[in-house]
Amino acid sequence: MNRLLRVELTRVLCRRAVLVLLAAAIVVPAVIGVARVLNTREPSAEEVARAEQLIAEERDTRWAKRELASCQKDPAEYFGGDVPEGDLEQACLEWIGLSLDNYLYVDRLELAEERDEGAGFAVVVVLAILMMLAGTTFAGHDWASGSVSNQLLFEPRRPLVWTAKGVVVTAVAGVFSAAVLTVYWLLLYAVVTARDAGLGDGVLLDCLQSGWRGAGVAAAAALAGYSLTMLFRSTVAALGVLLAASVAGGIVLAVLGVDPVWNPGLNIGAVIRDGMPYWTEGPCPNLDDGVTYGGDVCEVEKTLSLGRAVLFLGTMLVVFIAASLASFRRRDVP
Amino acid sequence: MSDLVIETTGLRKEFSSVRGEKRVAVSDLDLAVPAGGVHGFLGPNGSGKTTTIRMLLGLARPTRGTMRLFGQPVPEQLPHVIGRVGAVVESPKFSPNFSGRRNLQLLAGAIGAPSSVVDSAIETVKLGGREKDRYKGYSLGMKQRLAIAATLLKTPDLLILDEPTNGLDPSGIREIRETIRDLGESGVTVLLSSHILAEVQQVCTSATIIGNGRLLASGRVDDLLGAGTAYRVVVPDPAAAADVLARAELEVTPHEGTLHVEAERPEEITRALGEAGIWLTELTPLRADLESYFLRLTEGEQLGQGGQGGHDGHDNGAIA
Repeated sequence: MNRLLRVELTRVLCRRAVLVLLAAAIVVPAVIGVARVLNTREPSAEEVARAEQLIAEERDTRWAKRELASCQKDPAEYFGGDVPEGDLEQACLEWIGLSLDNYLYVDRLELAEERDEGAGFAVVVVLAILMMLAGTTFAGHDWASGSVSNQLLFEPRRPLVWTAKGVVVTAVAGVFSAAVLTVYWLLLYAVVTARDAGLGDGVLLDCLQSGWRGAGVAAAAALAGYSLTMLFRSTVAALGVLLAASVAGGIVLAVLGVDPVWNPGLNIGAVIRDGMPYWTEGPCPNLDDGVTYGGDVCEVEKTLSLGRAVLFLGTMLVVFIAASLASFRRRDVP
Repeated sequence: MSDLVIETTGLRKEFSSVRGEKRVAVSDLDLAVPAGGVHGFLGPNGSGKTTTIRMLLGLARPTRGTMRLFGQPVPEQLPHVIGRVGAVVESPKFSPNFSGRRNLQLLAGAIGAPSSVVDSAIETVKLGGREKDRYKGYSLGMKQRLAIAATLLKTPDLLILDEPTNGLDPSGIREIRETIRDLGESGVTVLLSSHILAEVQQVCTSATIIGNGRLLASGRVDDLLGAGTAYRVVVPDPAAAADVLARAELEVTPHEGTLHVEAERPEEITRALGEAGIWLTELTPLRADLESYFLRLTEGEQLGQGGQGGHDGHDNGAIA
């Protein structure tokens, strides 16, 4: 087995298409990370000056003067009972929109937000897609060239051959993705620290754990792509099935009224984010007075747990593997 | 203990179409290849040669029947005997973007063969200088050489070669044939699948002929071709010679100014003519050519319609 693992590792690392995909798995997250860092940088003095100039110009308009005067004359009309103490003029200017925040949009780099809804989530999805492509192209190339039969002339134990290839594809995808995501989060952490933006307790560890779960998703995607390609014996067929499932699957589930908990995309999100909120139909909540509001059925928010998502995706993966392995064991090899 | 290297009994392979129609590729084939020498595996295209080989090597699953390699049942015991078998099945199949050397290294790595074996195999098939080029840039002849080099990575006791000279130039064909003959003489058993009778005649000591997946004939090549049973006789007066030979109870057929004479031994012809005072200008053994031989053997056969009912029950031996 060790010999086969070494051979397959060499095979996968010598394949140009796989190397291109691995390179893309570095470049794309790097581009996303750099874009996030640039988009969230502190505004320059010139940008601040320009914004202040615009505010000054706007303040000279008749409308702004009228609104400011009105606000200062009767602040309760504008602020209700919470009339600010101190600089009323500044408070009124902010109320009518003449503040730096409105003229100088600043997007802050926050790791927690990046992890749950920002670019961090996108990076994991990109990596998963690239690793799935690597898994399919690795197996598909062997079938397209017909070299599978040649390999079996040297090692006829088909389950062993399948397993060696699968282990290598999964390990390469998992280790590589974990490395990329670890570096990604550490670099973002370094940027946030350098900006002295402040971090919550354990946020970095949460981000890293999310990244490692994402690496697991990428490894599973590579294994799924590999398994399906070994089943269909064609990269195009495997990718076609995966594309159709990803595009049409959600639509079909929605049309059939199937609970979103069976949506693979939601489950992947739950793995990456350690649980994922979703909306579904359920009995309307009872309030303290015992009265049901809104009828019998309401849209209620639930959370898909990490454990359930892992169980669902794991079962799907096991089904793919079982079908692929059984097919490879029994079918004639061209 | 059987001295047969390859043995199949009642081997059958059916392919099913999408519509459920069955096509029989190999029908109850009994194949016996003795140890040592070069054994030809002859048959027209589509006769089931490659399918039989693929079943022997575990690439295709037989519908029924038994197979043995070195006395071991396959595919069950194939992992234990595959190290003694080198094979080229149909066209060479390697990763096109890897170099010839890289392809061989990967295969050698799977069996734990050292890199010196790769060097040796490359040298044997004369691929030196091009072994670092990408496989997809190779000519068909170079691809065939690489495939043969792959078989040599194992130092096999049995070599199964499926149309190994396809695409080779004349000098390449001669080199491969010499290599095959040398291997056969060195004790390696070679199963040479081919539809080229001349190739089998030149290289093989014995042969099996199949058509429509059925065994048609098996035995020594000379016996199969009927060498020595018919002669072309050239004499100054063919009519007089024909009378003499007919009186000697030999079967004579005039043919374009010459005579075709059926005789057990050539002495029967020379003695009869000599005693009549007729001196031979030429006496040549007649052998069947490829086309007529296959036409005769496969007469009445229709490709792809083999089956149990149509099996004519030829046994290993002479042609019917």
